[in-house]
Amino acid sequence: MKPISLVQIKPKAGTQAFFRWRQIGDDAILVTNLEGNWLILTEDEFTAYARGEVAPDSDLHGRLDEKNFLRASYDVQAASERVKARRYFVHGGPLLHVMVVTLRCNETCVYCHASRANMDAVHTDMTPEIARKAVDVALSSTNGFVTIEFQGGEPLVNFPVVKEIIEYATERNKEIKKRLEFTMVSNFALLTEEKLQYLLDNKVQLCTSIDGPEEVHNAQRKLPQTHNAYQAAARWIKRVNEAYIERGLDPSLYHVEALLTTTKKTLDYHEEVVDTYVKLGCNTIFLRPIDPFGFAERARLRLEYPRSKYLEFYRKSVDYMIELNKQGVQILERYAAIFLTKILRGEDPNFLDNRNPAGAGIGQIAYSYDGNIYSCDEGRMLAATGDETFKIGTVDSAYRQVVGHETVRAMAIATNLDQQPDCVNCAYNPYCGTNAAYNYKAQGSIFGRMRDNNVCAVHKGIQDYLFEKLAENDPETMQIFERWTTIRPREHFVQDPTQSED
Amino acid sequence: MSADQQTSIPDLPEALASANLGERSVSLNIDAELYPLQAVYGAAYIFIDRCYVFVDRPEAGKFRVTLAAKEGVEEVEALRSLVGEFANELISCAWRHQVTQDNRVAVETVTVQAIAGAMGEPSLDDLADFDFTDEALDDPLGIAQSWEEKHGRKEPKAEADAEAEGGASA
Amino acid sequence: MSADATKELRFPREVYAGTAVDEAVKVWGKFADFELSETEDHWVVKVTPKHEGAARQIIGEFGNYVLGLTVDRGGVDGGEA
Ligand code: SF4
Ligand code: SF4
Repeated sequence: MKPISLVQIKPKAGTQAFFRWRQIGDDAILVTNLEGNWLILTEDEFTAYARGEVAPDSDLHGRLDEKNFLRASYDVQAASERVKARRYFVHGGPLLHVMVVTLRCNETCVYCHASRANMDAVHTDMTPEIARKAVDVALSSTNGFVTIEFQGGEPLVNFPVVKEIIEYATERNKEIKKRLEFTMVSNFALLTEEKLQYLLDNKVQLCTSIDGPEEVHNAQRKLPQTHNAYQAAARWIKRVNEAYIERGLDPSLYHVEALLTTTKKTLDYHEEVVDTYVKLGCNTIFLRPIDPFGFAERARLRLEYPRSKYLEFYRKSVDYMIELNKQGVQILERYAAIFLTKILRGEDPNFLDNRNPAGAGIGQIAYSYDGNIYSCDEGRMLAATGDETFKIGTVDSAYRQVVGHETVRAMAIATNLDQQPDCVNCAYNPYCGTNAAYNYKAQGSIFGRMRDNNVCAVHKGIQDYLFEKLAENDPETMQIFERWTTIRPREHFVQDPTQSED
Repeated sequence: MSADQQTSIPDLPEALASANLGERSVSLNIDAELYPLQAVYGAAYIFIDRCYVFVDRPEAGKFRVTLAAKEGVEEVEALRSLVGEFANELISCAWRHQVTQDNRVAVETVTVQAIAGAMGEPSLDDLADFDFTDEALDDPLGIAQSWEEKHGRKEPKAEADAEAEGGASA
Repeated sequence: MSADATKELRFPREVYAGTAVDEAVKVWGKFADFELSETEDHWVVKVTPKHEGAARQIIGEFGNYVLGLTVDRGGVDGGEA
């Protein structure tokens, strides 16, 4: 890409409303404004806009005016409405409550160190008493929506406490009447038909991990007895999906989704990864880069990769997914869907790691097996390595103490992109987010430094890709993107507070 | 830096920019009338992952920015492209600064309307709940004391592992 | 450490925040010895890196750190524009 030269353009302020810009192609410059409207301009159009020389009766003037890019006609009211729609979550309070019911795990994953303990480490099981107190804190949230997510370790290892939480929370919720949901992230290897029926009876949404084709998955996720973690997960994905159908649920909406952790090894397998997901009946792939929390430093070299390599992988994978969609296959990439919802719909899907300010403490809370409470799951993992920075209380603390903790405030300030030196000028500011715990772990400060921040690099790279596609404006691709941003609510998973479980 | 290694840069007047090959650095003189300090900060900040940046005030009404390449830049040509890029960023920052100033009132109005509107009026319950003994009263955002000061900012590592992943191309 | 590696940095007060210099000195104390003084216009810092091989890097990164902190704080008076 040949960079445009402002030395030659000689911009002049005065006529432009508040806006930011970024060159995304040889003759394509993205401009975005305060409220997240955007336009892609040619270099000539950008030059005219920059110099304040847009003819009032031109087509360009009309486009700029319609999207609120002109100072003379700036519509404050419309802008406020749009910002309000994007930031509706700021007063919500925590909706995601991650409960680590045990650290014990039957699997051994190469990137998972801080998060697991061996099967004999029974002292890392959450007790029923702590579990009930954790539920009490979670249900005190000011948010009308409460999702309890079971995590580990492997949550199925401490199934009695999972049940305790479900039953206690449902019972208490009869009075409190939140929109309560349960989700479980499990490797499925310890699932049984009986446990499955219980989870389905109680409308627990099930989610697992698939790291790609069998060979890649099994190289990264090891199961001691059978040595085939992939088969175990695949078998249960199939079974759970069947069970949804048995219960009369629409399979296009109700099926197991899986999470991917991209390691160095994954990078060579973009097609195979996508094909595996399609084969397993998943509609969503979340191409998550590996994060630095879970694993020991010495595993780093084997697993880590430059972010530019990840972004290449991302582009190839999503290109391939778009191709498949054109052939009628339904598969979407989660990052893309999150960003596109903000870009195309002006809404925020409230993905807690990618919003402004981020969700730590004000959108999510993590409860460790021992009763300690952290601002986020990453904070909990850091604590497992001896750094208690993100501890914001215990299950005995009052709710207001927990969410009002100074660390929560500091994180909200640090993840406000309008005070980040790079983000204030970045065209992607209206759609972006940063992660305070990541910044702290990787860069020594919750504020981080976006110049060489990996999360920023990933967010920037993905948005570059998406805006390039939007600039190409291929009708079929645009249709696919529209579909990716259509959220169909999964009402079945909402607990009905008026009904007692039987 | 020693003056004897000073080289001028082709196409750019020496009064504006000069290079020092021994130090792998380049200096630019900037008219403070045309470019406010905020713009100089903004442009300088953009280069701190690639260069060691130093800002000086050689005389009233002037800034001098010295960019010393962190690695691998030996050629006058490469230094010249750094100057070009810096000039571009400086114009961009000055322009952004002006656009932000021009629209400050509108931006503030929009933000206040959007955020305050969502909050609604405090209810009596909110007031009754409010913990008046909380330190938060004096310091609502808890920013009087830096959080990181209190909890200990971690030290940067001496070696260049911040660059190890280097994917953050702008 | 030999005095050769010592370098005097003169940070103009109009550009760099004094608190940023202080904080950077604290953070970088592990990698260099610092001697601070001031004139009417400058914060003067004599830096003697503890590792001669990395002297350029240490001095340079220290300077960047002071600049970075100053910018993070919104400039010398903290917050203007
Ligand atoms: S990632 Fe999950 S399944 Fe794998 S070892 Fe860690 S806790 Fe167990
Ligand atoms: S995090 Fe990076 S991509 Fe996102 S707004 Fe900030 S600078 Fe832009």
